[in-house]
Amino acid sequence: MYIPRSILMLLVIIYLLFLLTVDWINAAGGLWWRPFVVAFIVVLVASWAHREQETDESE
Amino acid sequence: MNFELPTLVALGSVYLSLLFGIAYITERGWIPQRVVRHPIVYVLSLGVFASIWAYYGVVGSAQREGYGYLANSIGISLAFMLSPLLLRPLLELTRTYQLSSLADLLAFRYRSPWVGTVTTLVILVGVTPLIALQIRAVADTADILSPAASHGSIAVGFCVLITLFAILFGTSRRPGRTQHDGLMMAIAFESLIKLFAFLVVGGFAIFGGFGGFDEMQEWLLTQPDLLGSLEDTNYFSSFHVMALLFFSAAVAMPHMFYVTFNGNAGRGALSFASWGLPLYFLLMSLPVLPILWAGIRGGSTVPVEYFPVAIGVAFDRPGISLLAYLGGLSAASGLIIVITLALSNMCLNHLILPIQQPAASKDIYRWLMQRRRVLITALIWAGFAFHYLPSDKISIQLMGTVAFAAGLQFLPGIVAILYWPLANKRGFFVGLASGVGIWFPLFMLPLLSETYSFSDIVINWRETAALSLIINCLAFIFGSLYFGSSDEERSSADLCTLDTIKRRKRSGLVAKSAGDFIKSLSKPLGERTATREVGQALKDLGLKKDDRRPYAMRLLRGRLEANLSGLLGPSIAREIIDSYLPYSIVSQHGSSDVTVIENRIEAYRSNLSGMAADLDNLRRYHRQILLDLPLGVCSLSSDREIIMWNRALEEFTEISSADVVGSQLSDLPEPWLTLLEDFIGEDIDHSYKQSFELSAAKRTVNLHKAFIEESGETGSNEGLIILMEDMTETEILEAGLTHSERLASIGRLAAGVAHEIGNPITGIACLAQIIRDEYKDSELTGLAQQIIEQTDRTSKILQSLVNFAHAGTNKLMHENERVLISDCIAQAQTLVSLDKKNKELQLEIDCDAEAAILGDSQRLLQVLINLINNARDASQAGGTIVLAAKNMGSHVHISVTDFGVGIPNAIKSRVFDPFFTTKEAGEGTGLGLSLVFSIVEDLNGNIDIISPFDRTRGTGTQVLLKFPCYDPQLAET
Repeated sequence: MYIPRSILMLLVIIYLLFLLTVDWINAAGGLWWRPFVVAFIVVLVASWAHREQETDESE
Repeated sequence: MNFELPTLVALGSVYLSLLFGIAYITERGWIPQRVVRHPIVYVLSLGVFASIWAYYGVVGSAQREGYGYLANSIGISLAFMLSPLLLRPLLELTRTYQLSSLADLLAFRYRSPWVGTVTTLVILVGVTPLIALQIRAVADTADILSPAASHGSIAVGFCVLITLFAILFGTSRRPGRTQHDGLMMAIAFESLIKLFAFLVVGGFAIFGGFGGFDEMQEWLLTQPDLLGSLEDTNYFSSFHVMALLFFSAAVAMPHMFYVTFNGNAGRGALSFASWGLPLYFLLMSLPVLPILWAGIRGGSTVPVEYFPVAIGVAFDRPGISLLAYLGGLSAASGLIIVITLALSNMCLNHLILPIQQPAASKDIYRWLMQRRRVLITALIWAGFAFHYLPSDKISIQLMGTVAFAAGLQFLPGIVAILYWPLANKRGFFVGLASGVGIWFPLFMLPLLSETYSFSDIVINWRETAALSLIINCLAFIFGSLYFGSSDEERSSADLCTLDTIKRRKRSGLVAKSAGDFIKSLSKPLGERTATREVGQALKDLGLKKDDRRPYAMRLLRGRLEANLSGLLGPSIAREIIDSYLPYSIVSQHGSSDVTVIENRIEAYRSNLSGMAADLDNLRRYHRQILLDLPLGVCSLSSDREIIMWNRALEEFTEISSADVVGSQLSDLPEPWLTLLEDFIGEDIDHSYKQSFELSAAKRTVNLHKAFIEESGETGSNEGLIILMEDMTETEILEAGLTHSERLASIGRLAAGVAHEIGNPITGIACLAQIIRDEYKDSELTGLAQQIIEQTDRTSKILQSLVNFAHAGTNKLMHENERVLISDCIAQAQTLVSLDKKNKELQLEIDCDAEAAILGDSQRLLQVLINLINNARDASQAGGTIVLAAKNMGSHVHISVTDFGVGIPNAIKSRVFDPFFTTKEAGEGTGLGLSLVFSIVEDLNGNIDIISPFDRTRGTGTQVLLKFPCYDPQLAET
């Protein structure tokens, strides 16, 4: 089964980011926007990961 | 703050009319294609997933589960972020085989119309609550804004409007075939409105509800319950299950399947959506918490889910309420339109067409369109009927969960399409029955039955959903392994499974041309439909109607099946194609069609890595060697189908490989057919110098052949490879060399003859001198003088012949002396006058008497004779050639000018090439100018050709030689 390297990296990054930030998010107090910062980082990484996938799609 | 019902109805009507207007102008081409096909439009159209659930439902979810409300966004976002694993391969499949729904896809993979039917039924039952949910939310929010209005009448009015628009949107085109650009634009617009409305309402919640961010933070710190719900979010139970539900919904829910796979527009759209859609859902999730808190602070008494509309009422901002209502209307209408279109396709292909098919005499497209309209209407009103059934106590969230849990039951079947070739229809049925067996009594029945206790299910829904999926998977695996796959299922698995490239063996078709296809398909489809479908398939493939290649016919059959699958569903399409366009030979599973394998690997190339990529590079390298080999290579299958036709063969035969690959050898034009068939029929592996006529010219080839044996099996015959060597040029060169050799022999003979004649001539000259001296002042003196002059002339001629014949025989012994150009020209004039071809030639000589160079006079003579002969050949009979020699400063310019046809531009660069000639075979060797060039270089000169010499007439050629003037000092050194 072929998995593009960039997608594997994306998976690893998402997993590590989740582990590292879950306590930080839960200890937010009034800083409710913390999960969205993490989500935004994930979206940025995803946009990088899919940058090289575009050529694979046919019309 | 209340609104009049007509205001809300008018708002809804205007909004839906605007959507229709956008669809209309898109279909008319008034919006540029670069906009319509832009990936952002695709991303926004995927925003249809953010239905009432994501607009209203998440607010209630945020109150109950804290950050757990993000599970739906995370689930769908993960499906798109990891699109190379699931969505992209499925996209390729659905595009290739025109599969427009999940039922089509599953029926195609598991090779059973029943799979499509059962899938359609389960999804139909499963998503009806989702449609009901949209209707209920629109009616409930209208109730909030206009309490005086009847709930029922609002729902009826909304359903009437949406039915009308769904029919207009979805049935103006043929189903399954074309991308609904207008619909996609309209859905993208509604997603934009929805996002805008939600963000504005969220912004109002912060700044209007609290007075700013800081104030909201301060207020939040005074709400320990709310903070606690955020901090106690359980990421490891319901969060995961909910995310999984929405992950599977990306493929399993009909509206998402419809937009993801049918609405995919431009190149790279899915890659763009892989991060664009998560960004969209991130933006949609941002305002949820501020809206929830503003609603609580404003003291809204309506259900939490409707806070987006209620906070405008609570803070007395009617504009905000109206905008929020419009956003909700947008979310509901978008989903209903798309889901009913998708479901109507599924119902038509898998419920109606297997029972009732249109007669061939009818207009099939109209017949299908009418039934789709009826189905759309029925589906919307089924949702309307359902929205009355659930108790008001059942939340929006629960209705959504029931629908998405139904979609979850298809996840094992979907994943197995790509990753498990052993899966089969019996396993699928067993798994689905197990999963649905849990889902229906524990999820669906409580919605339908008032007597059924729901409260327990609410508590355990996560475990129930997870349990149904686990049992489904286990039953699917064990069922598939127990029952085994049929040959047909294995073939289908080959088509769908990643990493597998086995294909059926090439087989001939009974129908041999597009005309035969139309004739055969006219029986089930009618002549008009068959002609249109075959024409469309030919157009899709870029084939001509008169193409009869077996390979092209196989492609046409495959494309027709795919196109009919888009129209009638894969089961009916396959039935029609198998029945009316059968193969002439029964194909075997496991054998391979090299062309198809190559195409498949080529399409998959960028996905190969490691050893697979190295092997592919090696394959390409070997293939490239064959393609670029300067010998013609033609590979034939065992049934004489042409598999390879390399570039050398394309150039030699002037037949493109695209025209010939895939056709039978017998389809080749003459003379190639006879040439190759005769050679294949002969019992020899090599045939030399086979001559034939091509375009009125004689061509000669050497042919070689070898049988291809299957690796590891000696004696097996996989096909034949033929090498064709073009010997035409070689034969011309051989003829030229033979002619040259003959001329050289004649030259040697002439030199010998000249030598032998020289002695008697000398004798005659001596005798004539004696007579002249003995008989002074007599008549004999004059005669003797004439004899002496003639013998002198004869001697000169003979000496020139001998000198010319000996010139260049020993390259190391060239003279290096003063060469008077005038003498050389005179000698050349003498020699060329001996050729009878030059009898009518007019030579004009214009030479400086002192012009001289350092070199070998005989070699310069050879240069001049070659140039004069060439000039003569280019001139008309009796034409004039001008020989001139001038001292020009430190150089001597010698020119030979004719007034003939000139040299064509195309060959100017090649005239000095050895063996290049424009003369007939045997007339010229092609070595003359090449020799001239090398001699001039040896003499430190250079050569230019000016052609046309007369630019106004475009005729004549001048060869200009430039040599350094004779320098005595240089000569001594």
